[in-house]
Amino acid sequence: MSLIDIYIQEVTRRLPEKSREDIALELRSTIEDMLSDDYSEEEVKAVLEKLGNPATLASGYRDQPMHLIGPRYFDVYVTLLKMILPIAVVISLISMIATYFMNYGGEEAVINVALHIMGEGIWRIIEVSMQVFFWLTLVFAILERTDKGKDQNPLTTSLSKWTPDDLKDISYIPKKKAITKFEVFGGLMWTSIWATLYFYAEHLVGVYRGSETGLEFVVPALNHEVLLRYWPIVVVIIGGEIALSLYKLMKGQWTKSIAIVNMVVQVVGTVVFIVIFSNPDLLHPKFLAYIADFKQLETWAVGGVISIFIISAAIAVFDGFRKAKIS
Amino acid sequence: MSTLLNSLTTELRRGTLTLAVLSQLRTPQYGYSLVQLLEESGVNIDQSTLYPLLRRLEKQELVTSSWDTSESRPRKYYVLSEYGVEIFLQLKEEWMKNSKQLHGLLTKGEDDELN
Repeated sequence: MSLIDIYIQEVTRRLPEKSREDIALELRSTIEDMLSDDYSEEEVKAVLEKLGNPATLASGYRDQPMHLIGPRYFDVYVTLLKMILPIAVVISLISMIATYFMNYGGEEAVINVALHIMGEGIWRIIEVSMQVFFWLTLVFAILERTDKGKDQNPLTTSLSKWTPDDLKDISYIPKKKAITKFEVFGGLMWTSIWATLYFYAEHLVGVYRGSETGLEFVVPALNHEVLLRYWPIVVVIIGGEIALSLYKLMKGQWTKSIAIVNMVVQVVGTVVFIVIFSNPDLLHPKFLAYIADFKQLETWAVGGVISIFIISAAIAVFDGFRKAKIS
Repeated sequence: MSTLLNSLTTELRRGTLTLAVLSQLRTPQYGYSLVQLLEESGVNIDQSTLYPLLRRLEKQELVTSSWDTSESRPRKYYVLSEYGVEIFLQLKEEWMKNSKQLHGLLTKGEDDELN
């Protein structure tokens, strides 16, 4: 095999079957044109050097992009990736946690549950991210290769050419007024945390003691029966908080109506919290026995917790209205 | 030459390449003869760009090709099609206009520098 043969093979193997023969023939005749009648290997090398890397030459012939996703689709691709990735991750996490608690018998130690959820959660996030990334990239790589339109302008998210009318779909959001995704997901996270604490208080909230096998749950702090008496209104509050978060996500900025909904949720939440917390039967008798030595601490703690709750709710309400007012 | 200048020069040349090739294909040429013709006029062309370009022009129906097997080695000849001639003349017109405008722009700058 001469260098010329190998070079031609290196070019043509990257080309579609039907054009191989013709290109090989033309390439060979061109190379021979460039060489003198009795050529040395050095001369061959010089000529092949002029023709350049076979891969580059082949890609010139192939008329197909040497990239997965080109400028026409890149912006849409990145936008969609940023949008889908967090949603997919959150949904998979929620479904994972829900499945876990549906099969949860209550016999496992809390710390193990937490570790289990965290470990599996991290694994889920990696898995889902990889899946989303792979499939989205695949779809766009195929689009890039099948779209033979002459128009090479980058596309907008609606997969059409940009026009000034597209600007009408976007509201101008001043930075101080904006609701970040972080804020929304933080809110949802907080709701799911306290909801979990509420429904699993008898396993989660209480006094822990360090032991050889890790943290050991000693006494539950709250009387679960008393606590669960309030479940219908608590479910309403959970629904309200989730609805508020989604509403914020949709609007993307503080408005007067969001501020009002926010106020309603905060006020109802605070009132219900105060009612539940000031119920004299709420604290578990065992817990009261456990802290009997610090009796005065109890009233002080209850009062403190309630005031903190009221103050933070008031700040949240005020902040909502303040941001809604910014123009 | 700095790499930036190099890449800018390549970019400048890229657009003119098609026009240069079309201008030489009013008579039938095969790959290497075309390279020689262009080089005679001082147009240096990357050969790995030229050969694929010829096939693309054929696909766009600007040139037609035929194999000549009468000589010692077979050669593929390319020549402008009727449509190709038409496009070439329009493209040439466009180029003349552009270069005149650019010339105007560039020399105006020179006058300012002198004053």
